[in-house]
Amino acid sequence: MDDSPILVVTGLEAGVADEDLDILKGVDLAIGPGEIHAIMGPNGSGKSTLAKLIAGHPGYEATGGSVEFDGEDLLDMEPDERAQAGVFMAFQYPVEIPGVSIANFLRTALQSRLEDGEELDLFDFQELLMERMELLDMDVAFAQRPVNDGFSGGEKKRNEILQMAVLKPALALMDETDSGLDIDALQIVARGVNTLREEDPAMSVLLITHYQRILNHITPDVVHVMVGGKIVESGGPEVALELEASGYEEYRKAHAA
Amino acid sequence: MSQATAVREQAGRKIGRSAVIEQGAGDPAWLRARRAEAWDIYEATPLPSTRSEEWRYTDVARLLALDGLVPTAGGAMAGRALPDGLRRAMEQDRESAGRIVDVDGSVVSVELDEALAAQGVVLSSLREAARAGVPEVEALLATEAVPASDGKFSALNAALWSDGVFLYVPRGVRVDRTIRLSRWVSQPGTATFTRILIVAEELSQLSFVDEILSPDFSTVTLANTAVELFSRAGAQVQYVSLQRMGEGGFYLANQRTLAERDSTLDTLNVALGGSVGRVDLNARLLGPGANSDMLGLYFGDANQHFDFNTSQDHVAPNAHSDLLYKGALDGAARGVFRGIIRVHDGAQGTDAYQTNRNLILSDTAIATSLPNLEIEADDVRCSHGATVGQLDAEALFYLMSRGLHREQAERLVVLGFLGEVLSKLPLGGVVEKVTQAIKAKLRYV
Ligand SMILES: Nc1ncnc2c1ncn2[C@@H]1O[C@H](COP(=O)(O)OP(=O)(O)OP(=O)(O)O)[C@@H](O)[C@H]1O
Ligand SMILES: [Mg+2]
Repeated sequence: MDDSPILVVTGLEAGVADEDLDILKGVDLAIGPGEIHAIMGPNGSGKSTLAKLIAGHPGYEATGGSVEFDGEDLLDMEPDERAQAGVFMAFQYPVEIPGVSIANFLRTALQSRLEDGEELDLFDFQELLMERMELLDMDVAFAQRPVNDGFSGGEKKRNEILQMAVLKPALALMDETDSGLDIDALQIVARGVNTLREEDPAMSVLLITHYQRILNHITPDVVHVMVGGKIVESGGPEVALELEASGYEEYRKAHAA
Repeated sequence: MSQATAVREQAGRKIGRSAVIEQGAGDPAWLRARRAEAWDIYEATPLPSTRSEEWRYTDVARLLALDGLVPTAGGAMAGRALPDGLRRAMEQDRESAGRIVDVDGSVVSVELDEALAAQGVVLSSLREAARAGVPEVEALLATEAVPASDGKFSALNAALWSDGVFLYVPRGVRVDRTIRLSRWVSQPGTATFTRILIVAEELSQLSFVDEILSPDFSTVTLANTAVELFSRAGAQVQYVSLQRMGEGGFYLANQRTLAERDSTLDTLNVALGGSVGRVDLNARLLGPGANSDMLGLYFGDANQHFDFNTSQDHVAPNAHSDLLYKGALDGAARGVFRGIIRVHDGAQGTDAYQTNRNLILSDTAIATSLPNLEIEADDVRCSHGATVGQLDAEALFYLMSRGLHREQAERLVVLGFLGEVLSKLPLGGVVEKVTQAIKAKLRYV
């Protein structure tokens, strides 16, 4: 396996597009193929902003630094191009799309990955969708429901992982997918992620979370702590355990100083 | 008669008293008198102007030169082969219980399931039914529902109508499959006047789809329709209008629904084609327990102009009406919705709702929404709401972050937005047909 990192974030500074608001203040991060990185950090420290920047949210703008994915400059690409290249973000707050069924949406998403003139095999698609729903313990009737419309918080999160499992990304950004999941759902989601990694050992994961618990199921290679728009510490799984015990106070003080 | 001869014969016609007299030749005396009276009303009524509240946004004086239009004559097109565009639209349809085909204002064929005919269901050319002396036609044509006195265009239609549909479903008869009217306008610069009269007797049931198509025209071409719908006690009626005319088409419809006790009278107006579409829909809830769901869907681009003027008249107590009109507008299209709920004195226990939602897809498209309430009873539940919004940037990003191109993402959001309306009236074949038509239109967006 080629071990050069799939994602390289260098000195990334970013804020809200068209506004004078700095959120990320020089983030450095490199994720190798097959690695799992977790980012923890207090509310408002910039975790979601980092994920959205990588996914290409038009509301955020890089003002310095770079983001490279598989050797290519991501910041130059449209969100759909990034997705096609293999980036996937499970949203912290999934968006409701009234009137568009999950099945229709995912079929279009897969179709968009094919060459012009190539048609998605609907039978294969149906089979994949059913298999993935089973993996995530989802009722098949779900596929006909409009995307996130009227879903419970946990259903929305599970739906994010369903999309990830169907689209099979090279890099999965999971923004607080564990928040709002019950204990069983958390295990099911973790099983989904681990199954995908078994199928594709090169799949990398950047997992944003507030809770150490999910890291018992999805074991991270590296845990980062983000405070005030910067990564202030990186280490092994023990970093998460220490945070659980002592909180962010130490980091905040150091950051403020 | 060939198409060319028919057109030549019509070419000299103009909208005027002599056309009214010509149109009435062969009609029974009561109908000739009704036409003449309607013409008098037409002449005495001024053309609606933008100074009036109801016509503020549709300037007919500018958009429609009535004097230059050639009114089509009934019976002129009988027996000729169906135009390709019409045939293709008909082939998309699912099985139906009955079908009536109208070309340039003349019914060219009528088919009805034999078992239904044996039960007393009547599906007929309106002109023939009037001439055959069907009592319901004499009693209900342009009297209670869309009389000439309703306005300039109702009068014009009552004077000049060439043909249309008469559908009668006797007491207790349930027509499970849809009955379809397929209409085609072929001649540029013509004015077609059509009437639809539907009577659903007590406890009967029917659904009717009225589809109108045409090629593109280089000159304004008018299709004027008066729709009269009666649902007697306990009957269930669904009426769908699919307006898919080509460029240059000017669609002008007056629809009135009269719902008696415990009956259901639902309508769906779909406007996709034509250059101008104006629909006046008045739903009257005449008996307790009556129910009208009123749905509308419009999708305009280029310079299309759609104007809906709806009213929900709660005359009787304890009736229910629920209106949902949704439109997407692109290019320099204009959408106007003006709706009023009127709860008459004594209509206690009324439940009436009205919602209009618009999705604006370009900087130059405009939506105007004017919901209104007029309540003269005190124990009522009413609400109205209107929104005009743009494509949600978060939704587009969400879809694009899954790999959809921007156009695909926009298309899905628009389809989902409009699809809500269709999901509320899942009539066999209508949902697929309208979805296909919207998709075809979205391809050019
Ligand atoms: N569109 C925006 N407009 C204004 N401020 C914004 C915007 N987006 C983010 N911010 C601000 O940037 C900071 C970082 O937000 P971000 O969502 O990245 O935090 P987070 O680390 O994900 O927090 P949480 O743990 O609560 O999800 C916050 O102070 C937030 O209020
Ligand atoms: Mg966040």
